[in-house]
Amino acid sequence: MKQLGSLLLAEIIKEHRHSFHSKMIYFSLLVWPVINFVTAYYSFAPFQMGADSPLARFISYEQLPLFLLTGYLGYIFYWCLVQSSWQMSFERQAGTMEMIFISPVNRLAFLYGRSLSSLIEGVWLFFCFVLLALFFVDGIQLSGWWAPPLAFLILLVSAIVWGGFLCVLFLFSRDASFLYTVLDEPMLIFSGVRLPPMAFPVWAKVISFCFPLTYALQLIRELLMEGATLQAMLPSMGLLAAVLLVLVTATVVLLKLAEKHMKKTGNMVMY
Amino acid sequence: MFHVAKATFIRNTRVMIRAYPWSFVIGHIFSGVYTVLFAFFAYHYVFAGQLDENFAHLAGSSDYLSYAILGGAFYAFAVSTLMNVSRSLITELREGTLEAVLLTPSLRRGYFLGNVAQQLMRTLFEFSVIVLVGALFGLTLSQTNVWSAVLVWILSTGAFFCQALVLGSLMLWFRDTYITQNTLFAVMAFVSGVTFPIPYLPEWVQPLGLIMPLAPALDAFRQCVIQGAPLHAVSPQLFHMTALSLVYLVMGVWGIRRMEKRVMESIFG
Repeated sequence: MKQLGSLLLAEIIKEHRHSFHSKMIYFSLLVWPVINFVTAYYSFAPFQMGADSPLARFISYEQLPLFLLTGYLGYIFYWCLVQSSWQMSFERQAGTMEMIFISPVNRLAFLYGRSLSSLIEGVWLFFCFVLLALFFVDGIQLSGWWAPPLAFLILLVSAIVWGGFLCVLFLFSRDASFLYTVLDEPMLIFSGVRLPPMAFPVWAKVISFCFPLTYALQLIRELLMEGATLQAMLPSMGLLAAVLLVLVTATVVLLKLAEKHMKKTGNMVMY
Repeated sequence: MFHVAKATFIRNTRVMIRAYPWSFVIGHIFSGVYTVLFAFFAYHYVFAGQLDENFAHLAGSSDYLSYAILGGAFYAFAVSTLMNVSRSLITELREGTLEAVLLTPSLRRGYFLGNVAQQLMRTLFEFSVIVLVGALFGLTLSQTNVWSAVLVWILSTGAFFCQALVLGSLMLWFRDTYITQNTLFAVMAFVSGVTFPIPYLPEWVQPLGLIMPLAPALDAFRQCVIQGAPLHAVSPQLFHMTALSLVYLVMGVWGIRRMEKRVMESIFG
């Protein structure tokens, strides 16, 4: 257990040093979400707004900024992890993948360590978000003092599980970056980051239920916008837990398959 | 020069087909389809087709779906041209071939021309897929003035290429592609009128759109496609774009030269 902990920590530190070598990135991690959020806000401008807008069937006009803000917060959490797993291909290019798999490192510790490295940016992002939401945006309605920490925990855990799952997918091929497009942008559309999933037709709802972000966002909005009680949130919590469990199982199975595949092809660097 | 361009074209195409076939095909098709889907969902399901009363006046047409789909398609086109051209040198640096490129007596002009040509082939494919899918989801092309649209498209490729030179030298300067390009793309999407007309923005932000070639290019392209405007009707936008291109070209050529020297001394020295 102690060894597992130190492996995890080593991977976190490595990955953090690797992708956060310059201070610029902290700046960009706040600037990008802000620009994307403002862009999303203005992309509603061509539509009819106000009290009689069809949007009111799903969210009230006053809550739109907070709706988008929570959406983008969740999306950025997940997006950091999609990025970090996408950088798995650099591990191949740099030739370090072989070393990792030859060493007696626990594979799962390696995967989740990579994901956890986004913890630091996650904390700082979340802190800025809460400040922003409290001081500038109307419509915030907390379930209690414990709502923000719980929201953070939900985002963190679900994002790490998602990140570990993606890392495994990137183990299979150098040419996996298409997964980045396949998994990143649909998340933005279908998970309810910018548009409420309730508005979607059935087939789109089905897709949106495949992303854990959909459930995480649902919970976060219940916590921060609707002031829901813990009891009222039990069903959504159960759903999220079930989805995460499926993802962890899939990660473990795929990891074994990936290693087998790499042993068979005999080359972890080229293919 | 054309030898070098042809060689670069062939090499890049081979790399693309051999090393990254899936990323190429699926990645480009998907990103186009999402753009279309998003506009479609927002328009039909969330807002039930009800637009702001100023929209028709500001956008020059009340056809929101065509407006948004063309915006998304053109943005994707701008991003991939900018990205692949500007990243070319830094990719060589990462893959270890930059030294060879810099040591050969080949003309840099030819090298970039080859890159652009290869890029053109890819974006043309991507663009047609987005437009085809867009047509299924409500993009109207019946009024299109094909020749002026094609000409605007080609001119915009030139403009994005000039901007890519500046971006490329910045990338080599910072030794980073990630932050530089993504910051630029985020700002571009915000200020260039991709999903909403620029006048909706606060007044102090609007001038930022003026320095992005995407803004006039998109404006001209939309007019040609949605309203079937002839070329002379969009000449102000074309002049704007040409002026920007010239400024970026001068800056970019100067920047790339300086960076090459710097890279030679600091890395291979």
